[in-house]
Amino acid sequence: MHAYLLSLIIFTPLLAALVALFIPARAGRYFRLVTLAASLIQLAILIIIFLQYQRGSGAIQLIEKQNWISLDLGSWGILKAEYFLGVDGLSLPLVALAVLVMLIATVSSWSIEKNVKGYFILFLILNCAIIGSFVALDFLLFYLFFEFMLLPMFFLIGIWGGPRREYASIKFFLYTLLGSILILIVMIGLYLSVNDPASSGQFVHSFNLVTMSDPTNFISFSVLDPNNPWSIGPLHARMWAFLLLFIGFGIKLPMVPLHTWLPDAHVEAPTPISVILAALLLKIGGYGLMRIAYPIFPEAAINFSWLVGLVGVVSIIYGALNAIASKDLKRLIAYSSVSHMGFVLLGLASLTTEGVAGSVYQMVSHGIISAMLFLLAGVLYDRTHDRLITNYSGLATKMKSYFAFVLIGFFASLGLPGFSGFIAEIMVFLGAFKSALLHESLAITATLGLVLGAGYYLWAIQRMFFGPFYFKGDATKILYDLTSREYLMLISLALITLGFGIYPQPLLDFINPFARHFAETVIATGQRLILTP
Amino acid sequence: MLMVFLLPLVSCVISFLLTDRYAWVITLTAPLLQLISMIGALIVFFSLSAEPYTLALPWFHIGEFIFSANLQINAVSAIMLVVVTVVSFLVHVYSTGYMAGDENNRRYFAMLGFFTFSMLGIVLADNLLLIFVFWELVGFSSYMLIGHWNQKPAAVNAARKAFIFNRIGDAGFLIGLMIIWANAGTFELRNLLLQTEVFSWQTSATLCIFCGVIGKSAQFPLFTWLPDAMEGPTPVSALIHAATMVAAGVFLLSRIFALYTPEALDVVALIGIITAVLSALSALVQTDIKKILAYSTISQLGLMVTAIGAGAADAAMLHLFTHAFFKACLFLSAGAVIHVLHQAQQQTHTHFDVQDIRNLGGLRKKLPATFFAFALSGSALAGIPFFSGFVSKDAIFTGLWNWATMGTSWRWIVVVSAFLVSFITVLYTFRLVWFMFMGEEKSTQALDVTEAPLVMRLPIIILAVASLWFIITINPVDFNGWLFQILHPGKYFHFNLMAAVSASWVLLALGTAHRMYRTGKNFNVKIFQRAFYLDFIYQLLFEKPVLALASFTDRIDRHWIDGVLHSGVYAQVTLAHIIGWFDKWIIDGSVNAVAATSNGLGSFTRSFQGGKIQLYIFWSIFGLIIFLIWMLL
Amino acid sequence: MAPIDHFLYLSAFLFSAGIVVVIVKRNAIMVLLGIELMLNAANLNLVAFNILQPGLFTGHMFALFVIVVAVCEAAVGLAIVLRVYQHYQTSIPDEIQDLKE
Repeated sequence: MHAYLLSLIIFTPLLAALVALFIPARAGRYFRLVTLAASLIQLAILIIIFLQYQRGSGAIQLIEKQNWISLDLGSWGILKAEYFLGVDGLSLPLVALAVLVMLIATVSSWSIEKNVKGYFILFLILNCAIIGSFVALDFLLFYLFFEFMLLPMFFLIGIWGGPRREYASIKFFLYTLLGSILILIVMIGLYLSVNDPASSGQFVHSFNLVTMSDPTNFISFSVLDPNNPWSIGPLHARMWAFLLLFIGFGIKLPMVPLHTWLPDAHVEAPTPISVILAALLLKIGGYGLMRIAYPIFPEAAINFSWLVGLVGVVSIIYGALNAIASKDLKRLIAYSSVSHMGFVLLGLASLTTEGVAGSVYQMVSHGIISAMLFLLAGVLYDRTHDRLITNYSGLATKMKSYFAFVLIGFFASLGLPGFSGFIAEIMVFLGAFKSALLHESLAITATLGLVLGAGYYLWAIQRMFFGPFYFKGDATKILYDLTSREYLMLISLALITLGFGIYPQPLLDFINPFARHFAETVIATGQRLILTP
Repeated sequence: MLMVFLLPLVSCVISFLLTDRYAWVITLTAPLLQLISMIGALIVFFSLSAEPYTLALPWFHIGEFIFSANLQINAVSAIMLVVVTVVSFLVHVYSTGYMAGDENNRRYFAMLGFFTFSMLGIVLADNLLLIFVFWELVGFSSYMLIGHWNQKPAAVNAARKAFIFNRIGDAGFLIGLMIIWANAGTFELRNLLLQTEVFSWQTSATLCIFCGVIGKSAQFPLFTWLPDAMEGPTPVSALIHAATMVAAGVFLLSRIFALYTPEALDVVALIGIITAVLSALSALVQTDIKKILAYSTISQLGLMVTAIGAGAADAAMLHLFTHAFFKACLFLSAGAVIHVLHQAQQQTHTHFDVQDIRNLGGLRKKLPATFFAFALSGSALAGIPFFSGFVSKDAIFTGLWNWATMGTSWRWIVVVSAFLVSFITVLYTFRLVWFMFMGEEKSTQALDVTEAPLVMRLPIIILAVASLWFIITINPVDFNGWLFQILHPGKYFHFNLMAAVSASWVLLALGTAHRMYRTGKNFNVKIFQRAFYLDFIYQLLFEKPVLALASFTDRIDRHWIDGVLHSGVYAQVTLAHIIGWFDKWIIDGSVNAVAATSNGLGSFTRSFQGGKIQLYIFWSIFGLIIFLIWMLL
Repeated sequence: MAPIDHFLYLSAFLFSAGIVVVIVKRNAIMVLLGIELMLNAANLNLVAFNILQPGLFTGHMFALFVIVVAVCEAAVGLAIVLRVYQHYQTSIPDEIQDLKE
């Protein structure tokens, strides 16, 4: 039983989807219940995983390893892909976040009316793919889950979305597909260059990410061998590979200037899907960088840390500026996501323990806070089908508890101490400033993001919630306060972000060993590789 | 000690959890909890030992770096503890009267408690990061309180401005933190302050932290938020000005005073004196009661900051202490005037701006107690002998004098400016007193004005008494009293001549004021009134460019990035069309051509066997003839 | 005695005329007529070539036989045409398309 915990947590939703397939489409209510049951089972499994997990160590735990594909290609060697799962201090918090957000999104999906069966089946498939990509440790398996996310997402936006849903879903699909292709190229290159150290005689081309992270496992004079003397254009192939991965995962993250799918997708997606998109899908970009790009190409990571940091800072400021200009509430939140994910890049680029820990913390914290923000935007959209900030005024008097949660959400997002975002951002700042790889001015410029962040959130609050009450939209719509279901979702998220903001240690206990190990290994391996040729 | 610290938070939480039906409970619990907290603070203060007392609390650690949440009580923080809890308690009591009937009472008291809690956090924290945490929380609670009447656009604007100005300062603070982190690797004040070596990074780090102080304590050039913040409820203004917000900056400066290098201190002193002069001039021409008081606060804060820059941090703390009481008293009595006039207005349905001093006058007959308190605390502000303000200002002047004699000549300009500020202080204070209470009644004549209720009057009276000299020293001309001994153990250099000069200087100013207002003269200088157009400059230099930049980046997103994307997609679609055409006409065309040929051939041959006998015959005969001809030839 | 050529010319002309009638005329009776014409052209040839074997009457006999066959054929043909005309109200073969496609 213990050996299959991770498989269980991945495939529970798939099983539920199978069950849902056999329920007749008329029985609308049962689909929600099945989905909810799947989420609750996942939560239970998650708790067992937490009990099993050894917190102090930075190693990968709860490993599951099965042969999956083993293909003898004669003189080409053997193609070997494994069913390899495991969690460490990076993936466990993200898996926990995923389970939690999925639960919230399920509850939030209660109000879906259109084609319930299709919706929940796609939803369950998405759930499976997201958690799968967080625990897969084989590149091929990861890529499989990674690509598998696209399909349900495309349909969920394209069918259940807002007025411009087709445009948004196609844009989302094209962008992400471009990223996937870049990742695929690197994956093939790695597959050709890596040899499983356990092989005898014949080359065993493995997709194992742990094997790939060790530079001694590269076949001499293969494309991505660190010791091969050739370069493609001005750069070594490994540098190109890193850049491709950076762009590929950066699109998902998203980083400026490859972010424009995000506002459209967010604006058009239905509320639960926005929540998943912001809280989980963006994290896969950061996760991919930390799991794949950095450990496999450490010397390129060191070499390009200025670029990663610069893109991070540009994202922070650019996103914030765009948020100021947004007139649509969801668009504003989407751009604030761009801004906040910039911190992930900045912290990662610093390659210090604080910075990396801050990055991971920021991913978790942003997952919770952005979920909350999109739920809040969804509350208003449910009532009026109108997201224009300028159409509202004085909501504070009309919807009191809603206003309270908006305050919590907005202030948490702008990095007020006491909320998790603050801890993450301060660690990123400290790490980035201290880092020898980044110029101090990057961190200093990034503080501008804080000021701008306060600017757009407070301005939005002022325009929507303060002043005399009016609503310049469809007058038949009634602005009632939160329902108990919304209240439940929001309060749980608010408590989590508050908890992690006041006392971050429980989460840091998981992240710390990973961050430390990650920063040290990447720096050490990278320095060695830079010096040897 | 922890109790002192946490009770305001408890009050906040209680207020937050109660439903609207039980909102009245808060008006009892909140002041009560504050009272207990205040008593606790007094106990802490009187049981203070020479050694700082530290309460070690773990917070979190990253890698090998440990961030603790230690709390520390030393002389300075014990004094601040008392100031904060006393003023906060009195403001709570006062608020139960002032805010009676407000529908958002719950939120108000919650935030008031939270405000006090955050300020106590700053006072007690022994870790710069923790200080920063509470520092920001103070900003947040001030945002909520200034914007409490959120139906009023001006209040909301002011709240946003306060928060953003604070954020700008905080960004500087954060950079300072980063510098300290990168160089010292710790935020524990214990460790930081104990180091004896002076490093070059300390200058930049402390100056960056000073940016935070500029934001929070409303120094030049970020002081314009404070007068705007007067849009909030008056007790909040009292709290902000006396104890919980602007004091935080001065407190922080004196807390980390040891980190400051001489170069950094010079900058601090300059900024302080510029602030003091500019805002004193602005205060002289304002017409709104609360704005005059706001500018006077800025000016006094400027003096304190100057004193710290001059190395007299203990004198600054002394002034902070006295200032807290008399300024709270001034605000509360101004609030009382506004409150009773408002109520009287509502009864008679008249309307005029009760905060505009040009509408007021002669109120001493109708509001004797308030007048008495206002005059007392006003005298303290002006620095008249036998009032607390005189003593603490004397300490500041002595400090400045010592500093100037040790350094270069520009320091004398600072000293002279400080004297000028003290002169102007007297002028604007008595201008206020005169316009409000003396002379003839103007617009208030018809109103039926009575004194404010007891819950409001009592705090005012207590504070008024506290603005006399004896709260800090027994000898009214020597600041070296019992309080100063705690701040600065040992005999301090005291300059009797300085006290005499300062006293006569103030009396001279008093005479000038008397002459001036007797004749009904009023100042009206546009540039002072608009606070040197700083807001206008900000708007021009920052707000507009940021908005323009924002719409520009929005354009980049929509037109350029998406434009590239769209044109890429269009190019692809066009290419697809071309390929489609090729497919249809060239590739399919050739296939079709083959098909058409065979089709034509088929129908051609088919035409031979159309079922027409005669045709068959014709063709057979035709064939026969051809055959014959071919055979024969 | 006239040379044989003239008979052959006449016969060829008659045959050609018969063929033309058979091909060109749409009416079945006219087609039959054309066939008769061709048969007669053949008879003429048979009789004409008989000159080359004096004493024998093979050609004449064959011509007589052909005339008998032609009579039978005309009788049967005309009968068919009559039946067709009764059934289809036309004697033009082109207009009878029941079997076509």
